[in-house]
Amino acid sequence: MPKEKAIDFLILTKTRSLDSLFRGVDFLGGAANLLYASCRVLFRPPFHFGLFVDQCYSIGVKSFSIVFITALSIGFVMSIQFGYGLERFGGKIYVPRVVGLSIMRELGPVMTCLMLAGRVGSGIAAELGSMSVTQQIDAIRALGTDPLKRLVIPRLLALLLMCPLLTVMADLIGIMGGMVLSQFELNLNADYYFHQSIMVMAPHDFLVGVAKTLVFAIIIGVTSCYYGLQTKGGTQGVGQSTTHAVVTSSILITIFDFVLTKLFLLMEVT
Amino acid sequence: MSEVEEIIKVKNFYKKFGEKVVHKGVNLSIRKGEILTLMGGSGSGKSVLLRSMIGLEKPDKGQILFHGEDVVPLDEDSLVGVRNRIAYAFQHGALFDSLTVKENLAYPLRAHTEMSEKEIHEKVMQTLAMVGLEGSEYLLPADLSGGMQKRVGVARSIIMDPEVILYDEPTTGLDPFNTRQILRIIRMLQGKGATSVLVTHDMTSLFAVSDRIAFLKDGKIIAMDTVDKIRKSTDPAVRGFIHGETD
Repeated sequence: MPKEKAIDFLILTKTRSLDSLFRGVDFLGGAANLLYASCRVLFRPPFHFGLFVDQCYSIGVKSFSIVFITALSIGFVMSIQFGYGLERFGGKIYVPRVVGLSIMRELGPVMTCLMLAGRVGSGIAAELGSMSVTQQIDAIRALGTDPLKRLVIPRLLALLLMCPLLTVMADLIGIMGGMVLSQFELNLNADYYFHQSIMVMAPHDFLVGVAKTLVFAIIIGVTSCYYGLQTKGGTQGVGQSTTHAVVTSSILITIFDFVLTKLFLLMEVT
Repeated sequence: MSEVEEIIKVKNFYKKFGEKVVHKGVNLSIRKGEILTLMGGSGSGKSVLLRSMIGLEKPDKGQILFHGEDVVPLDEDSLVGVRNRIAYAFQHGALFDSLTVKENLAYPLRAHTEMSEKEIHEKVMQTLAMVGLEGSEYLLPADLSGGMQKRVGVARSIIMDPEVILYDEPTTGLDPFNTRQILRIIRMLQGKGATSVLVTHDMTSLFAVSDRIAFLKDGKIIAMDTVDKIRKSTDPAVRGFIHGETD
Protein backbone atom coordinates (compact mmCIF):
# COMPACT_ATOMS: atom_id res chain seq x y z
CA MET A 1 0.00 0.00 0.00
CA PRO A 2 2.67 2.59 0.89
CA LYS A 3 4.35 1.86 -2.46
CA GLU A 4 1.07 2.43 -4.34
CA LYS A 5 0.50 5.65 -2.42
CA ALA A 6 4.00 6.81 -3.26
CA ILE A 7 3.38 6.10 -6.95
CA ASP A 8 0.06 7.97 -6.81
CA PHE A 9 1.80 10.88 -5.14
CA LEU A 10 4.51 10.93 -7.81
CA ILE A 11 1.95 10.82 -10.61
CA LEU A 12 -0.03 13.64 -8.97
CA THR A 13 3.10 15.74 -8.47
CA LYS A 14 4.16 15.17 -12.06
CA THR A 15 0.70 16.11 -13.38
CA ARG A 16 0.60 19.26 -11.26
CA SER A 17 4.12 20.24 -12.33
CA LEU A 18 3.18 19.77 -15.97
CA ASP A 19 -0.01 21.80 -15.45
CA SER A 20 2.01 24.61 -13.88
CA LEU A 21 4.48 24.48 -16.75
CA PHE A 22 1.71 24.64 -19.34
CA ARG A 23 0.05 27.52 -17.46
CA GLY A 24 3.38 29.34 -17.37
CA VAL A 25 3.92 28.89 -21.11
CA ASP A 26 0.30 29.90 -21.71
CA PHE A 27 0.82 33.08 -19.69
CA LEU A 28 4.05 34.01 -21.47
CA GLY A 29 2.46 33.51 -24.88
CA GLY A 30 -0.71 35.37 -23.93
CA ALA A 31 1.09 38.26 -22.25
CA ALA A 32 3.48 38.65 -25.21
CA ASN A 33 0.49 38.62 -27.54
CA LEU A 34 -1.29 41.26 -25.46
CA LEU A 35 1.81 43.48 -25.43
CA TYR A 36 2.23 43.11 -29.19
CA ALA A 37 -1.46 43.86 -29.85
CA SER A 38 -1.29 46.89 -27.54
CA CYS A 39 1.77 48.25 -29.36
CA ARG A 40 -0.05 47.80 -32.67
CA VAL A 41 -3.06 49.90 -31.64
CA LEU A 42 -1.11 52.40 -29.53
CA PHE A 43 -0.78 55.08 -32.21
CA ARG A 44 -4.09 54.39 -33.91
CA PRO A 45 -6.99 56.80 -33.17
CA PRO A 46 -9.18 57.30 -31.22
CA PHE A 47 -7.00 58.40 -28.30
CA HIS A 48 -8.71 58.29 -24.93
CA PHE A 49 -6.79 61.03 -23.15
CA GLY A 50 -9.45 61.36 -20.44
CA LEU A 51 -9.15 57.68 -19.53
CA PHE A 52 -5.34 58.04 -19.40
CA VAL A 53 -5.63 60.99 -16.98
CA ASP A 54 -8.11 59.02 -14.82
CA GLN A 55 -5.66 56.13 -14.63
CA CYS A 56 -2.73 58.47 -13.80
CA TYR A 57 -4.79 59.72 -10.86
CA SER A 58 -5.84 56.22 -9.81
CA ILE A 59 -2.37 54.68 -10.20
CA GLY A 60 -0.14 57.62 -9.30
CA VAL A 61 -1.87 59.97 -6.89
CA LYS A 62 -3.71 57.27 -4.96
CA SER A 63 -0.49 55.24 -4.55
CA PHE A 64 1.38 58.18 -3.06
CA SER A 65 0.76 57.32 0.60
CA ILE A 66 1.74 53.64 0.31
CA VAL A 67 4.94 54.53 -1.58
CA PHE A 68 5.72 57.30 0.91
CA ILE A 69 5.42 55.00 3.94
CA THR A 70 7.42 52.22 2.27
CA ALA A 71 10.23 54.53 1.17
CA LEU A 72 10.45 56.21 4.55
CA SER A 73 10.61 52.85 6.35
CA ILE A 74 13.31 51.61 4.00
CA GLY A 75 15.37 54.77 4.58
CA PHE A 76 15.04 54.32 8.36
CA VAL A 77 15.83 50.61 8.34
CA MET A 78 18.76 50.89 5.95
CA SER A 79 20.35 53.67 7.96
CA ILE A 80 19.94 51.94 11.29
CA GLN A 81 21.18 48.57 10.00
CA PHE A 82 24.19 49.95 8.14
CA GLY A 83 24.86 52.41 10.95
CA TYR A 84 25.21 49.78 13.66
CA GLY A 85 26.74 47.23 11.26
CA LEU A 86 29.46 49.53 9.90
CA GLU A 87 30.16 51.06 13.30
CA ARG A 88 31.83 47.78 14.31
CA PHE A 89 34.44 48.37 11.61
CA GLY A 90 34.65 52.10 12.11
CA GLY A 91 32.79 52.73 8.88
CA LYS A 92 29.77 54.68 10.14
CA ILE A 93 30.73 57.65 8.00
CA TYR A 94 29.97 55.59 4.88
CA VAL A 95 26.32 55.16 5.80
CA PRO A 96 25.08 58.05 3.59
CA ARG A 97 26.89 56.68 0.54
CA VAL A 98 25.78 53.08 1.02
CA VAL A 99 22.18 53.96 1.82
CA GLY A 100 21.91 56.51 -0.99
CA LEU A 101 23.31 54.17 -3.64
CA SER A 102 21.26 51.20 -2.44
CA ILE A 103 18.03 53.16 -2.53
CA MET A 104 18.71 54.90 -5.82
CA ARG A 105 19.89 51.86 -7.78
CA GLU A 106 17.97 49.04 -6.17
CA LEU A 107 15.54 49.46 -3.33
CA GLY A 108 13.70 52.54 -4.59
CA PRO A 109 12.67 51.06 -7.96
CA VAL A 110 12.09 47.51 -6.73
CA MET A 111 10.15 48.29 -3.55
CA THR A 112 8.06 50.97 -5.26
CA CYS A 113 7.13 48.66 -8.10
CA LEU A 114 6.45 45.73 -5.78
CA MET A 115 4.06 47.97 -3.86
CA LEU A 116 2.44 49.03 -7.13
CA ALA A 117 2.19 45.41 -8.25
CA GLY A 118 0.23 44.75 -5.06
CA ARG A 119 -1.96 47.83 -5.01
CA VAL A 120 -2.37 48.69 -8.69
CA GLY A 121 -1.91 45.22 -10.21
CA SER A 122 -4.57 43.69 -7.99
CA GLY A 123 -6.89 46.61 -8.70
CA ILE A 124 -6.50 46.29 -12.47
CA ALA A 125 -6.93 42.50 -12.46
CA ALA A 126 -9.99 42.70 -10.21
CA GLU A 127 -11.59 45.50 -12.20
CA LEU A 128 -11.04 43.91 -15.61
CA GLY A 129 -11.92 40.49 -14.18
CA SER A 130 -15.24 41.78 -12.87
CA MET A 131 -15.92 43.41 -16.22
CA SER A 132 -15.09 40.13 -17.93
CA VAL A 133 -17.43 37.96 -15.86
CA THR A 134 -20.28 40.47 -16.15
CA GLN A 135 -19.86 40.56 -19.95
CA GLN A 136 -18.83 44.23 -19.95
CA ILE A 137 -15.76 43.40 -22.06
CA ASP A 138 -18.04 41.64 -24.55
CA ALA A 139 -20.30 44.70 -24.47
CA ILE A 140 -17.35 46.95 -25.38
CA ARG A 141 -16.66 44.70 -28.37
CA ALA A 142 -20.33 44.35 -29.29
CA LEU A 143 -20.64 48.15 -29.34
CA GLY A 144 -17.90 48.26 -31.98
CA THR A 145 -15.13 49.54 -29.71
CA ASP A 146 -11.79 48.04 -28.72
CA PRO A 147 -11.16 46.83 -25.14
CA LEU A 148 -7.42 47.22 -25.75
CA LYS A 149 -7.75 50.91 -26.55
CA ARG A 150 -10.22 51.66 -23.78
CA LEU A 151 -8.90 49.46 -20.98
CA VAL A 152 -5.36 48.27 -21.59
CA ILE A 153 -3.60 51.21 -23.28
CA PRO A 154 -4.61 53.90 -20.73
CA ARG A 155 -3.47 51.66 -17.85
CA LEU A 156 -0.18 50.73 -19.52
CA LEU A 157 0.67 54.34 -20.38
CA ALA A 158 -0.30 55.57 -16.92
CA LEU A 159 1.96 52.92 -15.36
CA LEU A 160 4.82 53.89 -17.70
CA LEU A 161 4.49 57.49 -16.55
CA MET A 162 3.72 56.94 -12.88
CA CYS A 163 6.20 54.17 -12.00
CA PRO A 164 9.28 56.33 -12.70
CA LEU A 165 7.72 59.39 -11.04
CA LEU A 166 6.78 57.49 -7.89
CA THR A 167 10.22 55.88 -7.85
CA VAL A 168 12.00 59.23 -8.01
CA MET A 169 9.78 60.38 -5.16
CA ALA A 170 10.52 57.18 -3.21
CA ASP A 171 14.28 57.68 -3.77
CA LEU A 172 14.15 61.17 -2.31
CA ILE A 173 11.94 60.16 0.62
CA GLY A 174 14.13 57.14 1.37
CA ILE A 175 17.31 59.21 1.39
CA MET A 176 15.64 61.90 3.50
CA GLY A 177 14.39 59.22 5.91
CA GLY A 178 17.92 57.86 6.23
CA MET A 179 19.22 61.35 6.81
CA VAL A 180 16.71 62.12 9.57
CA LEU A 181 17.37 58.82 11.34
CA SER A 182 21.15 59.19 11.06
CA GLN A 183 20.95 62.64 12.63
CA PHE A 184 19.14 61.36 15.73
CA GLU A 185 20.34 57.75 16.04
CA LEU A 186 23.86 57.78 14.57
CA ASN A 187 24.81 61.37 15.34
CA LEU A 188 25.65 62.03 11.70
CA ASN A 189 25.17 65.66 10.75
CA ALA A 190 22.31 66.13 8.24
CA ASP A 191 24.39 68.49 6.10
CA TYR A 192 27.24 65.95 5.96
CA TYR A 193 24.79 63.14 5.20
CA PHE A 194 23.18 65.07 2.34
CA HIS A 195 26.47 66.04 0.70
CA GLN A 196 27.90 62.54 1.05
CA SER A 197 24.78 61.06 -0.55
CA ILE A 198 24.89 63.47 -3.46
CA MET A 199 28.64 63.20 -3.95
CA VAL A 200 28.69 59.46 -4.44
CA MET A 201 25.90 59.36 -6.99
CA ALA A 202 26.54 59.57 -10.70
CA PRO A 203 23.80 60.32 -13.27
CA HIS A 204 23.83 56.72 -14.45
CA ASP A 205 22.91 55.51 -10.93
CA PHE A 206 19.71 57.51 -11.21
CA LEU A 207 19.09 56.45 -14.82
CA VAL A 208 19.60 52.76 -14.04
CA GLY A 209 16.90 52.96 -11.36
CA VAL A 210 14.47 54.81 -13.60
CA ALA A 211 15.13 52.51 -16.57
CA LYS A 212 14.28 49.49 -14.41
CA THR A 213 10.92 51.00 -13.49
CA LEU A 214 9.90 51.26 -17.15
CA VAL A 215 10.36 47.50 -17.52
CA PHE A 216 8.57 46.88 -14.21
CA ALA A 217 5.68 49.11 -15.34
CA ILE A 218 5.22 46.97 -18.45
CA ILE A 219 5.37 43.82 -16.34
CA ILE A 220 2.69 45.08 -13.91
CA GLY A 221 0.45 46.44 -16.66
CA VAL A 222 0.61 43.49 -19.04
CA THR A 223 0.38 40.84 -16.31
CA SER A 224 -2.58 42.38 -14.52
CA CYS A 225 -4.44 43.23 -17.74
CA TYR A 226 -3.80 39.72 -19.09
CA TYR A 227 -5.15 37.97 -15.99
CA GLY A 228 -8.06 40.42 -15.76
CA LEU A 229 -9.13 39.90 -19.36
CA GLN A 230 -8.73 36.12 -19.07
CA THR A 231 -11.01 35.88 -16.03
CA LYS A 232 -13.70 33.23 -16.11
CA GLY A 233 -15.95 31.65 -13.52
CA GLY A 234 -17.57 34.42 -11.51
CA THR A 235 -16.32 35.88 -8.25
CA GLN A 236 -13.99 32.95 -7.57
CA GLY A 237 -12.38 33.55 -10.95
CA VAL A 238 -11.90 37.24 -10.12
CA GLY A 239 -10.15 36.29 -6.87
CA GLN A 240 -7.87 33.83 -8.65
CA SER A 241 -6.99 36.33 -11.38
CA THR A 242 -6.13 38.96 -8.80
CA THR A 243 -3.88 36.57 -6.89
CA HIS A 244 -2.18 35.36 -10.08
CA ALA A 245 -1.63 38.94 -11.26
CA VAL A 246 0.06 40.03 -8.03
CA VAL A 247 2.14 36.88 -7.55
CA THR A 248 3.26 36.66 -11.19
CA SER A 249 4.16 40.34 -11.52
CA SER A 250 6.03 40.31 -8.17
CA ILE A 251 8.06 37.26 -9.22
CA LEU A 252 8.78 38.74 -12.64
CA ILE A 253 9.88 42.03 -11.08
CA THR A 254 12.42 40.26 -8.87
CA ILE A 255 13.70 38.12 -11.75
CA PHE A 256 13.96 41.04 -14.14
CA ASP A 257 15.60 43.13 -11.43
CA PHE A 258 18.47 40.66 -11.33
CA VAL A 259 18.69 40.44 -15.12
CA LEU A 260 18.62 44.22 -15.55
CA THR A 261 21.11 44.81 -12.74
CA LYS A 262 23.53 42.40 -14.38
CA LEU A 263 22.93 43.93 -17.80
CA PHE A 264 23.43 47.52 -16.60
CA LEU A 265 26.60 46.57 -14.70
CA LEU A 266 28.00 44.97 -17.84
CA MET A 267 27.14 48.10 -19.81
CA GLU A 268 28.78 50.32 -17.18
CA VAL A 269 31.96 48.21 -17.18
CA THR A 270 32.25 48.25 -20.96
CA MET B 1 -45.19 35.94 -54.56
CA SER B 2 -42.17 38.17 -53.88
CA GLU B 3 -39.11 36.49 -52.44
CA VAL B 4 -38.40 37.34 -48.78
CA GLU B 5 -34.99 38.93 -48.21
CA GLU B 6 -32.72 36.92 -45.93
CA ILE B 7 -30.73 39.34 -43.81
CA ILE B 8 -28.62 36.75 -41.93
CA LYS B 9 -27.80 33.28 -43.14
CA VAL B 10 -25.95 30.69 -41.05
CA LYS B 11 -24.44 27.92 -43.18
CA ASN B 12 -22.96 24.66 -41.98
CA PHE B 13 -21.98 26.05 -38.54
CA TYR B 14 -19.70 23.85 -36.41
CA LYS B 15 -18.42 24.68 -32.95
CA LYS B 16 -16.90 22.66 -30.17
CA PHE B 17 -15.54 23.54 -26.73
CA GLY B 18 -12.79 21.15 -25.74
CA GLU B 19 -14.14 17.70 -26.46
CA LYS B 20 -17.79 18.79 -26.40
CA VAL B 21 -19.23 19.34 -29.87
CA VAL B 22 -21.99 21.95 -29.52
CA HIS B 23 -22.94 22.65 -33.13
CA LYS B 24 -22.83 19.98 -35.83
CA GLY B 25 -23.69 21.86 -39.00
CA VAL B 26 -26.35 24.42 -38.13
CA ASN B 27 -28.19 26.00 -41.05
CA LEU B 28 -30.47 28.96 -40.39
CA SER B 29 -31.97 31.85 -42.33
CA ILE B 30 -33.28 35.03 -40.74
CA ARG B 31 -35.64 37.13 -42.78
CA LYS B 32 -35.64 40.90 -42.86
CA GLY B 33 -38.13 42.41 -40.43
CA GLU B 34 -39.12 39.20 -38.65
CA ILE B 35 -38.84 38.17 -35.03
CA LEU B 36 -37.16 34.78 -34.90
CA THR B 37 -36.75 32.90 -31.65
CA LEU B 38 -34.04 30.31 -31.08
CA MET B 39 -35.25 27.74 -28.63
CA GLY B 40 -33.54 24.70 -27.16
CA GLY B 41 -32.39 23.15 -23.94
CA SER B 42 -29.70 24.56 -21.69
CA GLY B 43 -26.25 24.05 -23.21
CA SER B 44 -27.64 23.50 -26.71
CA GLY B 45 -25.56 26.41 -28.01
CA LYS B 46 -28.22 29.06 -28.64
CA SER B 47 -26.25 31.90 -27.06
CA VAL B 48 -23.02 30.82 -28.78
CA LEU B 49 -24.82 30.93 -32.14
CA LEU B 50 -26.18 34.39 -31.29
CA ARG B 51 -22.77 35.66 -30.17
CA SER B 52 -21.20 34.32 -33.36
CA MET B 53 -23.51 36.47 -35.46
CA ILE B 54 -21.58 39.60 -34.38
CA GLY B 55 -18.20 37.91 -34.14
CA LEU B 56 -18.01 37.59 -30.34
CA GLU B 57 -17.34 33.89 -30.97
CA LYS B 58 -15.78 32.24 -34.01
CA PRO B 59 -17.09 28.95 -35.35
CA ASP B 60 -14.68 26.11 -36.05
CA LYS B 61 -16.23 25.76 -39.47
CA GLY B 62 -19.05 27.37 -41.43
CA GLN B 63 -20.28 30.75 -42.59
CA ILE B 64 -22.46 33.51 -41.19
CA LEU B 65 -23.60 35.76 -43.98
CA PHE B 66 -24.90 39.25 -43.19
CA HIS B 67 -26.32 40.82 -46.34
CA GLY B 68 -24.34 38.18 -48.22
CA GLU B 69 -20.97 39.03 -46.56
CA ASP B 70 -19.34 36.36 -44.42
CA VAL B 71 -18.58 37.83 -40.98
CA VAL B 72 -16.58 34.82 -39.76
CA PRO B 73 -13.21 35.74 -41.31
CA LEU B 74 -13.50 39.43 -40.33
CA ASP B 75 -11.06 40.77 -37.74
CA GLU B 76 -12.10 43.07 -34.88
CA ASP B 77 -11.54 46.24 -36.93
CA SER B 78 -13.59 44.97 -39.87
CA LEU B 79 -16.35 43.82 -37.51
CA VAL B 80 -17.02 47.39 -36.33
CA GLY B 81 -19.20 48.06 -39.37
CA VAL B 82 -21.19 44.88 -38.73
CA ARG B 83 -21.57 45.64 -35.02
CA ASN B 84 -22.98 49.09 -35.80
CA ARG B 85 -25.74 47.38 -37.80
CA ILE B 86 -26.32 44.33 -35.61
CA ALA B 87 -26.89 45.11 -31.94
CA TYR B 88 -26.63 42.66 -29.06
CA ALA B 89 -28.73 42.91 -25.90
CA PHE B 90 -26.97 40.95 -23.17
CA GLN B 91 -28.78 38.67 -20.75
CA HIS B 92 -28.01 40.79 -17.69
CA GLY B 93 -27.65 44.10 -19.48
CA ALA B 94 -23.82 44.16 -19.29
CA LEU B 95 -23.99 47.85 -18.41
CA PHE B 96 -20.72 49.61 -17.62
CA ASP B 97 -21.04 49.85 -13.86
CA SER B 98 -18.79 52.89 -13.47
CA LEU B 99 -20.93 54.94 -15.88
CA THR B 100 -24.39 56.43 -15.36
CA VAL B 101 -27.35 55.30 -17.43
CA LYS B 102 -26.90 58.35 -19.66
CA GLU B 103 -23.18 57.68 -20.13
CA ASN B 104 -23.95 54.03 -20.96
CA LEU B 105 -26.37 55.07 -23.67
CA ALA B 106 -24.11 57.82 -24.94
CA TYR B 107 -21.16 55.40 -25.24
CA PRO B 108 -21.84 54.10 -28.79
CA LEU B 109 -22.93 57.54 -29.99
CA ARG B 110 -19.66 59.10 -28.81
CA ALA B 111 -17.65 56.23 -30.30
CA HIS B 112 -19.24 56.15 -33.74
CA THR B 113 -20.95 59.47 -34.49
CA GLU B 114 -20.02 63.12 -34.73
CA MET B 115 -23.10 64.17 -32.75
CA SER B 116 -22.82 67.18 -30.43
CA GLU B 117 -23.37 66.73 -26.70
CA LYS B 118 -26.79 68.37 -27.07
CA GLU B 119 -27.80 65.94 -29.81
CA ILE B 120 -26.47 63.03 -27.77
CA HIS B 121 -28.48 64.16 -24.75
CA GLU B 122 -31.65 64.41 -26.84
CA LYS B 123 -31.11 60.98 -28.41
CA VAL B 124 -30.45 59.41 -25.00
CA MET B 125 -33.60 60.94 -23.51
CA GLN B 126 -35.65 59.86 -26.52
CA THR B 127 -34.36 56.27 -26.29
CA LEU B 128 -34.91 56.13 -22.53
CA ALA B 129 -38.49 57.26 -23.09
CA MET B 130 -38.92 54.40 -25.59
CA VAL B 131 -38.04 51.86 -22.91
CA GLY B 132 -40.08 53.66 -20.26
CA LEU B 133 -37.15 54.80 -18.14
CA GLU B 134 -37.43 58.57 -18.21
CA GLY B 135 -35.80 60.21 -15.21
CA SER B 136 -33.23 57.48 -14.64
CA GLU B 137 -30.46 59.03 -16.73
CA TYR B 138 -28.23 60.02 -13.81
CA LEU B 139 -28.56 56.74 -11.90
CA LEU B 140 -25.77 54.19 -11.80
CA PRO B 141 -26.50 50.59 -12.90
CA ALA B 142 -26.19 49.48 -9.25
CA ASP B 143 -29.16 51.72 -8.41
CA LEU B 144 -31.43 49.93 -10.92
CA SER B 145 -33.48 46.77 -10.54
CA GLY B 146 -32.66 43.75 -12.74
CA GLY B 147 -35.56 44.53 -15.05
CA MET B 148 -34.53 48.16 -15.38
CA GLN B 149 -30.95 47.12 -16.12
CA LYS B 150 -32.17 44.88 -18.92
CA ARG B 151 -34.26 47.70 -20.36
CA VAL B 152 -31.28 50.08 -20.23
CA GLY B 153 -29.22 47.34 -21.92
CA VAL B 154 -31.82 47.11 -24.67
CA ALA B 155 -31.90 50.92 -24.93
CA ARG B 156 -28.11 51.01 -25.34
CA SER B 157 -28.23 48.35 -28.04
CA ILE B 158 -30.93 50.12 -30.07
CA ILE B 159 -29.65 53.68 -29.75
CA MET B 160 -27.66 53.40 -32.99
CA ASP B 161 -30.84 52.33 -34.86
CA PRO B 162 -29.48 48.90 -35.87
CA GLU B 163 -31.00 46.74 -38.58
CA VAL B 164 -30.85 43.59 -36.46
CA ILE B 165 -31.11 43.20 -32.69
CA LEU B 166 -29.99 39.99 -31.00
CA TYR B 167 -31.57 39.42 -27.60
CA ASP B 168 -30.02 36.92 -25.19
CA GLU B 169 -32.71 35.78 -22.72
CA PRO B 170 -34.46 39.16 -22.75
CA THR B 171 -37.27 38.26 -20.33
CA THR B 172 -35.71 35.56 -18.17
CA GLY B 173 -36.10 36.32 -14.47
CA LEU B 174 -38.26 39.38 -15.01
CA ASP B 175 -41.58 40.19 -13.36
CA PRO B 176 -44.68 40.36 -15.61
CA PHE B 177 -44.51 44.16 -15.86
CA ASN B 178 -40.89 44.23 -17.06
CA THR B 179 -41.53 41.24 -19.34
CA ARG B 180 -44.41 43.11 -21.01
CA GLN B 181 -42.22 46.20 -21.34
CA ILE B 182 -39.45 44.26 -23.09
CA LEU B 183 -41.90 42.49 -25.42
CA ARG B 184 -43.53 45.85 -26.22
CA ILE B 185 -40.11 47.27 -27.16
CA ILE B 186 -39.33 44.26 -29.40
CA ARG B 187 -42.66 44.64 -31.18
CA MET B 188 -42.25 48.40 -31.47
CA LEU B 189 -38.82 47.99 -33.06
CA GLN B 190 -40.23 45.48 -35.51
CA GLY B 191 -42.77 48.15 -36.43
CA LYS B 192 -39.83 50.40 -37.30
CA GLY B 193 -38.38 47.74 -39.59
CA ALA B 194 -35.85 46.09 -37.28
CA THR B 195 -35.17 42.36 -37.40
CA SER B 196 -34.99 40.59 -34.05
CA VAL B 197 -33.43 37.29 -33.02
CA LEU B 198 -34.28 36.06 -29.55
CA VAL B 199 -32.86 33.32 -27.40
CA THR B 200 -35.26 32.42 -24.64
CA HIS B 201 -36.69 29.68 -22.44
CA ASP B 202 -39.71 31.78 -21.61
CA MET B 203 -42.55 30.04 -23.48
CA THR B 204 -45.13 32.77 -22.87
CA SER B 205 -42.89 35.47 -24.30
CA LEU B 206 -41.76 33.21 -27.10
CA PHE B 207 -45.29 32.59 -28.36
CA ALA B 208 -46.41 36.16 -27.71
CA VAL B 209 -43.79 37.86 -29.79
CA SER B 210 -42.24 35.49 -32.35
CA ASP B 211 -43.00 35.24 -36.04
CA ARG B 212 -40.97 32.07 -36.41
CA ILE B 213 -39.28 29.66 -34.05
CA ALA B 214 -36.15 27.59 -34.63
CA PHE B 215 -35.53 24.59 -32.35
CA LEU B 216 -31.91 23.66 -31.69
CA LYS B 217 -31.16 20.15 -30.50
CA ASP B 218 -28.11 17.88 -30.66
CA GLY B 219 -26.13 20.57 -32.47
CA LYS B 220 -28.63 21.07 -35.29
CA ILE B 221 -31.81 22.97 -36.07
CA ILE B 222 -34.37 20.16 -35.99
CA ALA B 223 -37.45 22.32 -36.54
CA MET B 224 -38.02 25.82 -37.88
CA ASP B 225 -41.46 27.19 -38.64
CA THR B 226 -44.16 29.66 -37.71
CA VAL B 227 -45.39 29.79 -34.13
CA ASP B 228 -48.64 27.95 -34.93
CA LYS B 229 -46.90 25.14 -36.76
CA ILE B 230 -44.28 24.71 -34.04
CA ARG B 231 -47.04 24.69 -31.43
CA LYS B 232 -48.75 21.89 -33.32
CA SER B 233 -45.53 20.03 -34.07
CA THR B 234 -45.62 16.27 -33.65
CA ASP B 235 -41.85 16.05 -33.17
CA PRO B 236 -41.38 14.48 -29.71
CA ALA B 237 -38.40 16.73 -28.85
CA VAL B 238 -40.29 19.91 -29.74
CA ARG B 239 -43.46 18.77 -27.96
CA GLY B 240 -41.43 17.72 -24.96
CA PHE B 241 -39.80 21.13 -24.74
CA ILE B 242 -42.96 23.18 -25.30
CA HIS B 243 -45.43 21.17 -23.30
CA GLY B 244 -43.00 19.75 -20.76
CA GLU B 245 -43.81 16.23 -21.92
CA THR B 246 -41.33 13.49 -21.15
CA ASP B 247 -40.48 10.66 -23.54
